[in-house]
Formats: sequence, C-alpha cells, structure tokens
Amino acid sequence: MFDNFIAGTTALFGDPVSIAIFIFGVLGGMLFGAIPGVSMLTLAAILLPFTAGLEPAQGVMLFAVIYCTGTYGGAITAILFNIPGAPENAPTAFDGYPMTKKGMAGKAVGAAVLCSAIGGTASALLMMTATEPLAQWAISNIGPPEIFALVFFGLAVASSVGGNTIWKGWMSVLLGLMIATIGQDPVGGINRYNFGLSDLAAGIAFVPAILGFFAVSEIFVQAEKKAFGKYNAPKLSVDFPSFAELWAHKIAVVRSIIVGFFCGILPGIGATLAAFMGYGEAVRWSKEKEKFGTGKLEGVISSETANNAATGAAMIPLLALGLPGGALTAIMVAVFQFHDMEPGPLVFYNSPELIWVVFAAMFYANVSILFIGLIETKTIMQLLRIPFHYLAPMILMLASIGAYIGRGLVLDVVVMFGAGIVGFLLRRSGYSIAGIVLGIILGKIGEQNFAQGMQMVHYDLVTYMSRPICFILIVAGAITLATSIYKALSPSNNPQKQA
Amino acid sequence: MKIMKALSASLLVAGLVSGASTAALAFECKVKEASMAKPDGFPDRALTMIVPYGPGGGSGQVAAAMAQAVTELTGVNINRDHKPGGSGSVGTTAYMATPADGYNVLEHIDDASSAHALDSTKVNPAVDLIPLVISQVTFSQIYIRSNEDRFTDWPSFVAWVKAQGGKATIANVSAEGSMERVTMKFITDATGMEIQQISFDKGAPRYGALLGGQVDALFEQPGDVRKFLDAGNFKPILTVFNERPAAFADVPTHMEMGMTFEPLLRFRGFYVNANAPQDRVEWLKWAFQRAYCQDSYQKYNESKFMTVIDSYRDTEGAKKLINATVSQYRDVYKKMGLEVK
Repeated sequence: MFDNFIAGTTALFGDPVSIAIFIFGVLGGMLFGAIPGVSMLTLAAILLPFTAGLEPAQGVMLFAVIYCTGTYGGAITAILFNIPGAPENAPTAFDGYPMTKKGMAGKAVGAAVLCSAIGGTASALLMMTATEPLAQWAISNIGPPEIFALVFFGLAVASSVGGNTIWKGWMSVLLGLMIATIGQDPVGGINRYNFGLSDLAAGIAFVPAILGFFAVSEIFVQAEKKAFGKYNAPKLSVDFPSFAELWAHKIAVVRSIIVGFFCGILPGIGATLAAFMGYGEAVRWSKEKEKFGTGKLEGVISSETANNAATGAAMIPLLALGLPGGALTAIMVAVFQFHDMEPGPLVFYNSPELIWVVFAAMFYANVSILFIGLIETKTIMQLLRIPFHYLAPMILMLASIGAYIGRGLVLDVVVMFGAGIVGFLLRRSGYSIAGIVLGIILGKIGEQNFAQGMQMVHYDLVTYMSRPICFILIVAGAITLATSIYKALSPSNNPQKQA
Repeated sequence: MKIMKALSASLLVAGLVSGASTAALAFECKVKEASMAKPDGFPDRALTMIVPYGPGGGSGQVAAAMAQAVTELTGVNINRDHKPGGSGSVGTTAYMATPADGYNVLEHIDDASSAHALDSTKVNPAVDLIPLVISQVTFSQIYIRSNEDRFTDWPSFVAWVKAQGGKATIANVSAEGSMERVTMKFITDATGMEIQQISFDKGAPRYGALLGGQVDALFEQPGDVRKFLDAGNFKPILTVFNERPAAFADVPTHMEMGMTFEPLLRFRGFYVNANAPQDRVEWLKWAFQRAYCQDSYQKYNESKFMTVIDSYRDTEGAKKLINATVSQYRDVYKKMGLEVK
C-alpha cells in the first residue's frame, strides 16, 4: 500500500498540470462549498465538460479533491452567519452559530478546520487500506431495513436538540417529518400535499428549507432585536481552540470518524446523514446534553469530523463497485465515462495508477484543508465586522440566489422565505429549527428506506427484527426514547435552554 | 372495440420494435446534409437544454453527449439546466414556461408519454412538443448475480420464485404506471409467479441491492448496468424484446419463454415547443438529427448498448413511437384498473 501511495504522490506532484488541477480543486471546492446554494455540485457540473480534455486520472482527481474541500467549505458560513453551505453542514450551524454569537467564532471555525482535516484524512487512510472488502461488506450487510433503523436511531438520539423542552424538540422533528412527506412518495410516485403544483411534486428541496430555517429566520430574529434596541453584534474573535480543548474531545473525534465513515460507505446516503449521525452520537454520549444547540464546541467537532469522514468512504462503493454514494460521486461516474472507463472492480485491475493518484490527492486535499483553512479563516472572520444593516441584505440576497440556483425554481425562493417566517415564529415559542431540519432531511431518507425495507421483509416485523443490525438499532433507539421520556417526566427535570 | 384498439396499438408498437431490430446491423446516417444555413441567423447565442433529471443519471449523460455532438457539429453551445423531480414533471413544467423561440429545448424519456397516457391534461410529447430526435431506444432485461446458485436461468428462476410463495424480491423503479411496473405486471401475469417489487429511484442503491444479495433479481436496461455485465457481476436471464439482440444471443426473449405481450421500450429524446417558429424548428431538427451521426455520439451510444437495436427516430418516427406508446399504456392502465383521465 505504501509503495502505491508513494507512486500516486509522485504521479500527482511530478506533473505541473496535475499540481495546477489539484490546487484549483482545493481552492474551488472551498470557495463554492462556502457559498450557500452555489455548492461544490455547481462547480462540478460546470467543470464536467472540460474534463474530457484532461487525462482520466486528472479528471477524477479534480472531482475527488473538490469533494473533500467543498464538504469543509460550507462550515464557515454555517458558523459565521447560520448559513450552511450544504445540507451536510447544517448540524455544524446548530452549535457553531451560537458560538459566534458568544464571541467564540474563532474557536468554532478553528475546530471545523482541524476536525474536517482529521476526519477527511482518517477517511482517506481507511479508504486506501481496505476499499474492496469494505465495499463488499457494506452492500452485503446494509440494506434499506438497516438504513431505516439507522435513521430511527438518529432521530431518537438527536430529536431533543434545541427545543425549550423535550416535547417541543419532538414536535419540531415531527413538523420536519411532515414537511418531508410533501411531494411524490418515494415508492409509488403518488403526489402528496402538492396542491396541484407540479413544482411541489419533487417535494421541498433541502437547500431552500435550510436557508430559510437557519439564515432567514436568524435575520428576522436579529432585525427584531435591532428594532427594539436589543441587538448585540457578534464579537470578533480569532482565538483558535487550544490543544487542550481539542484533546478533550478526542473521543468525539474518533466516534465521529467511525460514524461518518460508516454512513459514507452506504450507497446513496453520504455525508448528510453522516453529519447528523455524528452530531446525534455526540449528544447521546454527552453528560451535558442540554448544552447542545447553545454553542457547544463538541457539536461543531462531531458534525465536521463526521461529514468529512464520509468523503473518503463515499469513494469506496464508487471505485470498488461503481455505486456512487451521492450527487457529486454520481457526476464522477460521468468523468470516468468521458474517458471510456467505468468505475467498478475492473478499475483496480485496469487502471491502478489512476486509483492511487486519486487516493493520494484526497489525502493531500484533506491535509491542505488544515493549512489553507487556517490561513483563510483569519481573513474571512473579518466579515463579522460588517454592520448588520449591510450584512443582512447581503445574506438575504445570497440566500435567495442559493435557493433559486439549485433547480431554477421561484418556488424554492418562496419556500425559503416561508421557512424563514415559520422558523422565526417557532423560535419565539421555544421550538427547535434544528429539529425541523433534522426531520426534513432524515425524513426523506427514512421514509424511502422504510418503504423499501418493509417490502423486503414482506411487512413482517418479526422478519424485520430478525436482522441483527435492525434489532440493535431499533432497540437502542427505543431505549433512548424511553429514557428521554422518563427524564422529561421526572420532577427533577429542568427545561432545556433555547438555542 | 377495446380489444381491437389494444391489438392495433400493440401491432403498431410491434412493427416499430421489429423495424428497430432489423435496422441494427450497420449504422447509416439518415441525414445526408452535412450543413444547413441558419434561418435569419438563428441561433446567434447558446441554446438552453432543460433536463428533468440529475446530471449523473442516464438522462443527464445522454443530454451531455448530445449537447457535445450538436456543438461539435454547429459550433452552437448548449447550456444544460437540470431540473430533477416528480418523475420529470418539474422539468417539463419549467420548460413549458420558457419562451417558445427555439432557444430552449427539452430532453425527456418515455415517462412523458406514460404520464400523458395516464392524464391527458399533461404535456403530450407528440402534440405540445415537436420531437427533434429520439436518440436512445432500448429494451429491458432481468438480471441475477453471476455467482447465484439458487437459479441459473429464466425457467429455474421462475420455478424458484414460485416456491418462495411471494417472498422473492426484484429491484426496479416501480412508480405507479411506470414502464417497469407495467412490464413486471405483464411478466407476473404471464408466468403466474408472485414476486415482491422493491422500488429504488436511484441506480446505485438499486444495483447495490442485487450485488449485495439484498434482492434476488433486478429489472433494468442493459446500458445502465453495462459495467456490471463487463465485470461479470450480473447475468441477464431474460430479454424483454421480440427477438434476441446479437449482443445477448444467449439470453432468451420473453416471447421464447411463452410470454406474448408486446414489450414496452425505454426511449430518450430531445424536443422543442410546438409553438416555436417553423424555420427554427427545421434547423434544430437538422442539428439534432445530424448530431446523432457524430462519432462522439455514436461512440457514447455504443458504450451504453444503444446500438444493439436501432436507437434513431426522426420527428415522424418519434411521433409514431410516442403515439403508439401512449395508446398502449392507456389500454394497459385501464386493464390494471388505474384511473385514466
């Protein structure tokens, strides 16, 4: 393996064109990842036709690098402005933005940089070690029933985040789950709650909903404070987390690497579920559950480690089996095909040099997040100096563009502002916008896999629970729910603080 | 009367399918004119192609290949605008809202025809749109894992499925009224087997389900699983087509296995609004039909098993295929008890 890695490194950095492509991918991924709506996917779609003129290894490497750095890029705006660059950065905003409001933006961004680099690098190393056996294990043991059980477990664990009370947290999640049912059902293609609008047949898109609930509702909240003279500008801080602070979260990092890698390896799941699960696990194991959603460093660490840990993992089913894990890896299939190649088992035999150039590039891209991320952070944090009356319209404009550009539908801009208003009102009442977003994202994944899973077990719960992974996750989720109900009913329970 | 109508529709489709297979032996470009003067300078800027599916799937790929071929041929750039969702309805609705000036074209698959068959208020691809070219026509197959030892061919598969008492599973895209669900109904009715269809809307989980043994079989088109065929992961055991394509000479057809229904085809093509200026439409027809002959496009189609039967339909051929398909689906839907509007 080491020899192959050295060979890949030599091929990557021994060619000026490859170096230029690598640097372009690192910077482009970070930039596009950081702009809400205009995600790394947008950059990938723009670049796709141009890859026909590149060497196959250069083309695939470019997209792999964009995937690594783009996944990190969205964390910055999530932390500084409550605008997740992509759905996989949404859990980062749960605690990252409250940290900014407390004047701890530097710590949050620094942790995001470091943990993205650690998660991605660890994932790249695991990917290099055992791509083929891991891919085979994943598809043989994890099907729709297991993925639904995983989602159920994730919802049970993270459902109470951000609400004033556990009941409000759950109500928020249920609202998100209801919103997720808008559009065609994932199995029969039957329209639900679309009121005759064909645009709604595709359901509520993640990005406009996230932008609305996070960014727009936050603008409204701050505008209200400004109007009543209660506005406090976020304090600028470039104090990075200390080594001791980071070392104190070493277990959270390792846990998120495992969770993120596991989610990333599942075809069609990817970094979004990884981030939510990583965050959820941090909540579950924490002794200070009530502090999540209020600006806890561990929330940022867990989310950003997990989503980047999913990047290397997502390459495993793609390269070993030809199964893309998400939208960006699906575009990478087209890059292979431009060069008369198909990702899958034969690539390892026919083009091992390509595989190792890609592996090496992903490794170095994750390492470069650390260095470039820390350099850019000092600069980007200066954005917090912009007065609110200039910043708010800029954010609304950026968010509107981000909402529209994904599908080019005015409906998505309407959804974004609608979500902003609903989010604003619900936050005033102590409900959790994090829970709503959690419900929307996990609801879509969960419903589809529940329907498929039930078909696979012929609607027989005994058969379903006889699958070991399903049994473990469903029971663990049920215990978590029961425990939280017990705690909520306990007289000694103190209401949680609002995010 | 209903039976006669269904029969005539089936015969028409049969004729179209049969014609397709006999023409598959050698490629011949049907558009002889290598160039065509632009009508009043049209187009003097890039075209926009709305693709109602994501960039990585079969539609996204064929849109990219055709856009590249048209640009190579004419020098006119084509910007692709992906609007996925709602089985193509989101993109179609968005397309119909764009100006009918010839600068906007639409990529779509047979889902547009089946959607119109189910609900006549939806866009009729042969009337509301003008097909510029249909550039991919393909058939479906049933696949099993190559290392499968419970069954090895179609007869043993059917026998095994029947022995499972309805617990066998097959992965497909089985949205209500889809080509996949209708064809599976034909197959299960004809064989008397009961099989649970598991619907996956994305290719990767669908193929992974068969690779990992989560399901027993897969319903798919050969181009979409070529890499798994080349790698020896999947093995076709049934071709849903009237005769054996040369590339799958060892695989029996449904007809040979005693199923007499007419196969439904998967087809992908390019359209322009029927209200677009006629001279512009003529130029677009030439550009897209001639682009089909470009080496780059033919190479792409070959890589997707789209040359084993004749994938080409010009405007008139496309209209015939669409009309026959709509008629066939309508009859089938009525027989299935679906509400046809």
